[in-house]
Amino acid sequence: MLIRSAPGTGPALPELHHRLRWLLVVVAVAFLILVGRLWQLQVVRGDQYLEEALSNVVQKRFISSVRGKILDRAGRPLATNRPAFNIYVSPDHFADAVPELVRLLGLSADEQAEMQDNMDDARKRRARAPVLLLSDQGAERVTLVEQASYRMPGVGVRYVPYRDYPYGSLASHVIGYMNKMQPKEYEKYRPLGYDEDELIGRDGIESKLENELRGKKGEERFVVNARGQRVEGAEATRLIDGPAFTEPVAGHDVVLTLDLELQKAAERAVRNLPAAGVVVVEVRTGRILAMVSKPSPDSNIMTGRLTAARKAELDADPRQPFVDKTLQQHYPPGSVYKFVTAIAGLDDDVITPDEIQTCPGSYEVSRQVFHCTSAHGKMDMRHALQRSCNVYFWKLAEKVGMDRMADVAFDFGFGHPTGLGLNGDLPGRVPTKDWYRQHGDSRIGNTLNMATGQGDVEVTVVQVAMAYAALANGGDLYVPQIIRQVQDGSGEVLFSYAPKLRHHVHASPEALQVVHEGMDMVVNQPGGTAYKYARSDFVHFAGKTGTAEVRGRRHRRNVDIDGWHPYGNHAWFVGYAPAEDPEIAVAVLVEHGGHGGKVAAPVARDIFEAYFRDVKPAYDKAMAEKKGAAK
Amino acid sequence: MRLGKTKGWLRGPATVGIGRFRRFVAYFDWPLFATIALILVIGLVNLYSATFRIAAAQGAPDHSGKFDAQITWVCLGIVLYLGMTVLDYRNLTRIAWLALGATVIMVVAVLILGHTAKGAQRWLGFGFFRVQPSELVKIAVILAMARMVHDRDDDTMSVKQQVIRWAAVVAPVLLVAAQPDLGSAVLIYLLILSIGYLAMSNLWPILIGHVVSIATLPILWDYMHDYQKNRVLAFLDPSNDPTGNGWHTRQSIFAIGSGRIIGKGFMEGTQNQFSFLPEQWTDFPFSVWGEEWGFIGALVLLILYGFLIFWIVNVALSARDRFGATICLGVAALVFWHTVVNICMVLGLAPVVGVTLPLVSYGGSSILTFFIALGLVSSVSMRRHVG
Repeated sequence: MLIRSAPGTGPALPELHHRLRWLLVVVAVAFLILVGRLWQLQVVRGDQYLEEALSNVVQKRFISSVRGKILDRAGRPLATNRPAFNIYVSPDHFADAVPELVRLLGLSADEQAEMQDNMDDARKRRARAPVLLLSDQGAERVTLVEQASYRMPGVGVRYVPYRDYPYGSLASHVIGYMNKMQPKEYEKYRPLGYDEDELIGRDGIESKLENELRGKKGEERFVVNARGQRVEGAEATRLIDGPAFTEPVAGHDVVLTLDLELQKAAERAVRNLPAAGVVVVEVRTGRILAMVSKPSPDSNIMTGRLTAARKAELDADPRQPFVDKTLQQHYPPGSVYKFVTAIAGLDDDVITPDEIQTCPGSYEVSRQVFHCTSAHGKMDMRHALQRSCNVYFWKLAEKVGMDRMADVAFDFGFGHPTGLGLNGDLPGRVPTKDWYRQHGDSRIGNTLNMATGQGDVEVTVVQVAMAYAALANGGDLYVPQIIRQVQDGSGEVLFSYAPKLRHHVHASPEALQVVHEGMDMVVNQPGGTAYKYARSDFVHFAGKTGTAEVRGRRHRRNVDIDGWHPYGNHAWFVGYAPAEDPEIAVAVLVEHGGHGGKVAAPVARDIFEAYFRDVKPAYDKAMAEKKGAAK
Repeated sequence: MRLGKTKGWLRGPATVGIGRFRRFVAYFDWPLFATIALILVIGLVNLYSATFRIAAAQGAPDHSGKFDAQITWVCLGIVLYLGMTVLDYRNLTRIAWLALGATVIMVVAVLILGHTAKGAQRWLGFGFFRVQPSELVKIAVILAMARMVHDRDDDTMSVKQQVIRWAAVVAPVLLVAAQPDLGSAVLIYLLILSIGYLAMSNLWPILIGHVVSIATLPILWDYMHDYQKNRVLAFLDPSNDPTGNGWHTRQSIFAIGSGRIIGKGFMEGTQNQFSFLPEQWTDFPFSVWGEEWGFIGALVLLILYGFLIFWIVNVALSARDRFGATICLGVAALVFWHTVVNICMVLGLAPVVGVTLPLVSYGGSSILTFFIALGLVSSVSMRRHVG
């Protein structure tokens, strides 16, 4: 027994002996609590805290890979990278560093709000590593921050390559843009190695070829102390498990089929129009040389510089600037669709090209009167196309029938996605008798409407361009192509895409010839719907105008943006040149633009002239030089 | 037997015929000293690791000035310990109130100097030498209460005198709290409470004191500095932590937890070596120990403290007089509360208040106080064997 009394006498302090039980209970309970807590921290949760402690000292930093460039067919950059500086602040220093930054840089209210958003995000996800608070800062600000760094612990500047679009809004729907991921998206992309504040490709090529363009980012792991200062030396690096530095791999460059100069010319041609879609395609390859959707937001602004006010403005624009009008929007084709009726009639032998029909200015079917644009009088098929006579095609449609017209339309690629695989690539709609039966509305009026590309017929601009390319090249319907090849930074080609034929259309060469002659007359003979407005002395081109009525116009809100009314007719012109041996086809849609010949045809003419005067010679010369250099 | 009558040291029948040195060796409390020595060794090993980084940053080759200073304090402490052992504690009955008076004056002096310096002041300079009176006052309180227990049979004491004595014992709590040194104030309060409950025959003064102190707690809160309030608030609600007081506790928990069962090894603790622990040599040495030596190391240290307390209580039970027994009880309470409060604070079970870990924390005042206190126990222990 360790507890002894002094010899002879009783306990010196009897109270202590009486209350010893309490003392022992208190001491035992206290020590048991301590041991229990140690067990909880060290044994039960030890692994978790070890991870926490390691993440305190070993921090990761991603080294951005250089994103691949997007080039036009001659190698001119449409999307590239420029140096930018980001300012990072470690979460422990938000409270002291941020007011200092605001004062030092004289930040605007917008910038402060952006910074606040970034801080809130970081707090929400309990970030511990430095957080990107201000992106893409100029060299001047960076110098200020670096000079003041001694009194702003936790603030760091990092150089990053930043996406740059040298031509801003040029072809912006095709190229796309980049922005930050939403928190939910980040959950999805994190396993793929994305960083929280990394930008991701949106729309167009930036989105479609994200995986090619992105490359593989590098990673640096390093050791820091409690003040966030880096600690070097063998003892520090020993804590890093695995390699401390992984080199980033640059992304691949994407070469498009677009021609920068032609794209510029096409955008110039629609500069005075409030909303339009233009597609220029090589008829013998299906390669898209220019693709315009107007209005188009500036990719540079969309990439990280879109303020809330500007976004609200764009969202409120009834012209829908974010919608690609060549692929993501359906339109009634109007008279540009009449070649379908003509070919159906000719190939079914229900009419000969020379058969004369009379247009009295209107047409009555089952007590319904349909009006033509004017009383065209007597004419054959070529003249009917030239003057775009509705009565002629209504009469023809009655003989041909709806399903036969639909067959031809499908044959020319309508009613299905074109296969471009960009920005939605809508299928359009070619109604058939079955379709009307399902939708409970089968009347003769539908057949007549279909003959002139009205009613329930819906197409995209790219579909029309591809169909006309097939008309022009003798019947080869191509899959449109926008990506020419993918190459690495040194120009080594990794994938190259050959033109892809969808199929050869069933239309007879004779029928195609008649349609071609009619379309030549549209532009080049007096009386043609485009003759007055668009005939060119420089380029001999053929084509067809269209003035498509908008359905349900009474329900549309009346607004006026530079002559753009939501109930105005869509103006179409689709054509190809040179008429005798076509090389390119051009489809022009001017949204709610009015008369096709007057509004859309001059746009096509400008593009044809630019192509044959400047773009083609320059490109051929550059290619010849390249070949010469290669030899 | 009146203790005051014994003159000289170790006079008595049992000492006859044995040389002084051999007697000393025979009666010296070796288990007590061995336990203290083991804890000291752990403390020094730990301090070496805890201060190593700072040393490296200052360009010193191996360990820092703090380690050297601690060695000096420990040597001085051992001398004091042996001195206290040799000294007959019974002589201290006469100077108990004097000691309390002297240390209270020192606390007041600190308070006045601190007031003029417009900030918290805990040190009193004596030329080359600085002491922290709030540490020394703890020993004085133990002695004074031992004297009260010693005097309890004295019927001549009036109620007024009793009240004055209690007031003198309680005064340091308020004065130290006003410094402000909340940790020491709480410690002294717990000390008075412990001695009172365990050694006093009359429990009423302690019960009344308890009620009064709880009732005055809200008033005390008003007088507390903002940083102290924030520490308490951060402890009560770690998620609401505007000034980052919870950060220290979190880092301390990461450190201890990450040590897991066997620890990261001597000088291998990243939380320690990369300065994630605040004041790791004074307030948080247990985090460093727990990180580098794991659950096993922490358990060993706890067992040593447990044994130390058990042994001191054992001495108290077998002490030959009330004065000695109460001193031992007081020292046991001092060691116990320092250990428990410090480790609780480090484990996130108590707010961060500056309470040192006995014999392990860096600092002369703390080390010397514990050596004096334990020296008293040694003195009491040795005199159990003399008739």
